[in-house]
Amino acid sequence: MNPITPIINGMKITFKHMFLKPVTLQYPTERPKVSQRFRGLHGLKVSHSKAKCVACYLCPTVCPAKCITVEAAEDANHDKYASVYEIDMLRCIFCGYCVEACPVDALKMTGEFELANYHRQDFIYSKERLLEK
Amino acid sequence: MVNVTIDDKQVTAPKTATIYEAAKLNGIKIPILCHDKKLKPFGACRMCLVEVEQMKGRQIPACTTPVTEGMIIRTSTPDIIKARKMVLELLLLNHPLDCPVCDKSGDCDLQNLTYEYKVNTNRFKDEKFHHSIDYNNPLIERDMNRCVLCGKCARICDEIVSFGALTFIDRGIETKIGCEFDDALNCEFCGSCISVCPVGSLLARPFKHKARFWALTKHTSVCGYCGTGCNLTLGVKDNKVLTTIYDENQGFHKGQLCVRGRFGYQFINSSQRLTSPLVRKNGKLMETSWDEALELVAGRLKNGTSVAALATPRLTNEELALFKTLLLENVGTKNFDHSAGFAHSALTEGFVRSFGESASSASILDIQKSDMLLVIKTDSYETHPVVGFEVNMAVKNKGVKLAIISDKRGKLSKLPDATTLVHRPGCEVAILNAIAKTIIDEKLFVDTASTVPGYAEIVKALSEFSAESVAAQSGLAAADIKKLASEYATAEKALIVFPVGQGYAGHNADLASATANLAILTGKYGKEGCGVLCLSEKSNSQGAVDMGFYAQDGGLNGLQILDACVSGTVKTLFIAGEDPLTSYPDRTKVKAALDAVEFLVVSELFLTETAAMADVVLPACSFAEKEGTFTSTDRRVQYIKPAIRKNAQTKTDYEIFSDLITCLGGQAAVTPAEKFSEIAEHAPGYTGLSHIILRKDGAFATAATKPAFVVPKATPSPATENGKFALVTGSVLYHNGTLSQYGEGPMHVCPEGYLELSRTDASAYKIADNDLITVASAAGSMQLKAKVSSRMPAGVVFAPYHFSSAPINTIWTGSPVTMVTVAK
Repeated sequence: MNPITPIINGMKITFKHMFLKPVTLQYPTERPKVSQRFRGLHGLKVSHSKAKCVACYLCPTVCPAKCITVEAAEDANHDKYASVYEIDMLRCIFCGYCVEACPVDALKMTGEFELANYHRQDFIYSKERLLEK
Repeated sequence: MVNVTIDDKQVTAPKTATIYEAAKLNGIKIPILCHDKKLKPFGACRMCLVEVEQMKGRQIPACTTPVTEGMIIRTSTPDIIKARKMVLELLLLNHPLDCPVCDKSGDCDLQNLTYEYKVNTNRFKDEKFHHSIDYNNPLIERDMNRCVLCGKCARICDEIVSFGALTFIDRGIETKIGCEFDDALNCEFCGSCISVCPVGSLLARPFKHKARFWALTKHTSVCGYCGTGCNLTLGVKDNKVLTTIYDENQGFHKGQLCVRGRFGYQFINSSQRLTSPLVRKNGKLMETSWDEALELVAGRLKNGTSVAALATPRLTNEELALFKTLLLENVGTKNFDHSAGFAHSALTEGFVRSFGESASSASILDIQKSDMLLVIKTDSYETHPVVGFEVNMAVKNKGVKLAIISDKRGKLSKLPDATTLVHRPGCEVAILNAIAKTIIDEKLFVDTASTVPGYAEIVKALSEFSAESVAAQSGLAAADIKKLASEYATAEKALIVFPVGQGYAGHNADLASATANLAILTGKYGKEGCGVLCLSEKSNSQGAVDMGFYAQDGGLNGLQILDACVSGTVKTLFIAGEDPLTSYPDRTKVKAALDAVEFLVVSELFLTETAAMADVVLPACSFAEKEGTFTSTDRRVQYIKPAIRKNAQTKTDYEIFSDLITCLGGQAAVTPAEKFSEIAEHAPGYTGLSHIILRKDGAFATAATKPAFVVPKATPSPATENGKFALVTGSVLYHNGTLSQYGEGPMHVCPEGYLELSRTDASAYKIADNDLITVASAAGSMQLKAKVSSRMPAGVVFAPYHFSSAPINTIWTGSPVTMVTVAK
């Protein structure tokens, strides 16, 4: 093979890219648009101004990482609700089984992926932090 | 046995079996919602439809059809599966699909069957029910919207519990399960209905939303309350006992429990539990280390004979045996006892002299095999409810005759054809003697009776107990006594049952001998369905007797120990688990004794009144945290293992005694299992038993009877005085000892002490329910809430002894009957 050919081929690609949109994202000034099915931080859905979750314990049961803690309680109308709903993000593997298991469609996974923090304690997301805003 | 073919499998089954039972016996599962093995067949749910070739391929219910020779049965043809799917569809038509919030989910028969038969669509449409839900009851929540009308709750309440609180009400599509007049539930709260409910219609409220069924670890154990020895399955999550789980295959009682067993478990994880040793410093109990506390106790235990001990018969056999070793060998004292020194005397004195053995001559299993039951005091139901269920079943299903001699009427008196002889309080022994005399006079005794030692003496001694004179004295009719005597003597098999306990001072050695005399005279002992069954009060009362943990060889008994504390001969008192200030007679004396004793050590679960007076309090463990054995009232030895890990700062009594032995220079104790093998070598009847053997079902310790007639002393009942009432003490159905005060279930139903009196007296004194009344005896006076009931005879009042908030021993000094005045 002519020794020049590979160089020409290489330069072709190089020049082509000069006319394409750059792949690199200038994070954090530019932010990625995550797909709809992206599995990021969990969110507890709200309906009629309270969490849809009925504390059925299916998510902690199905969770392979055992990172979900639920405690059920009875409200004034004798309805079951989660008095405690915590997810330990350090343990979570973002498999989405919890969302799949939820019988009342109370849980979703958001596009939120910036979960870094300074203290271990801050990785335990309480019900208040998980409620969709 | 008959031969049948089920699903092409040749099997045999008993003649009396139904198709369902025959299939189950041979490992073939037929789905069903309305069947429980304790209950009679009902045929409500139509899930168990099967095809029988001989019946032209019709679909018939397996649970109500008996097997016949040569039956060819098919349990799962396509047609049957179609029919079952239809049944499920129709049930799910009205059943709310609220599994996520229903506590039954995971343990629900309907849910499991729906899953198994893949019923995920419904061809029909209908509205769901809109029944109102009973949230008000503290123990049993009733949601009739979920009900599938299997009728199990109504049937168990009628057939076994014999209360009949629940029944079908209304008709047609409106049919539901409810109480009379669709009123609130007001029953015994045994929770049997909850245990058999196949769906989430009846739920245990104390467990509501606590955990999902699948998250619970199941630990089998033995109930720590009364002496019946019921087996429990504890549901544990995160090291907490959250509920009791029903298992129809468990124990002689087939999973049946009373309110204490089912709802009284909360004391195990109570926040009031002691978590650290306490030592009195400058008059106040301060937290301390185990080393300091044990050293202090060990120092005081060196004082030999000036040391005395009281232990609760809720300790395991191993603990009691080790405690005895500690006291006899390392401390050097014979002063130890349990249950106030009198609650066990029927066994340790009465049965020892009459039957030659400190144990009952019958077992609980004999109740249903007998022909006649003679029950002393209707309280037998209240003290041992699960034994009461056996009596219910014996009378209602087996046609066993029931006669009761009691100072008040009660639940047992309501059983079909039960005869209750209501006598003046305190005459039990005299009446039993009169029965014995009638048997002798009418020559109804067996020939062998005259060869039994003491026959001549008993004939002579009984001469003063003619039916007529006893009848006059006890307020009965002589004819009734004579009739009872001939019924007892002529019955082929007859069993005498009586309860003992700290509330029953009159149920002593003499009563035991009097009952034994009857059994020996008529030869009704040592055979199936015969004998005398003494219902011991606490989970290991019989064990404490078998371990010899009571005053012997000149040691002081329970009440003498308290006297000796006052007189100063006992300087150090070690109380393991007892609460004498509430449960021993004569509060003033107990208080004086505990004040006078120089050094008081209490090992307890809670800071009881007694513990609050101690110099050292050692936090101990409940039955759910330790390993050992309990001996039930009929001498069934059962093994318990820890269901939860104990708090690191508490020690089991076994560890406490073992540490004290080491502190006193003795040899460190062996493991409980090895200790039990030592026990098996020495304790009579325990030979050959070991923890390994007992692990599964437990085993009976054998008892050999050596009959002898003993003349029982009949103490005359106190003379009636104008304006005075005869106070009898005892146990209430919802409580056992003082421990059940820390169980939420019992406290929901019966939170405080009361004085029960008859309607006649109540109207004469213008007393209504819940009125605060002043009750005074020679010993003192106190205020109690009134409870007016139809079961009390006029002039007799009853008060339970369990409550520290209303200690009945303020006015009760240990006599079987106390004369009191009542004022509003």
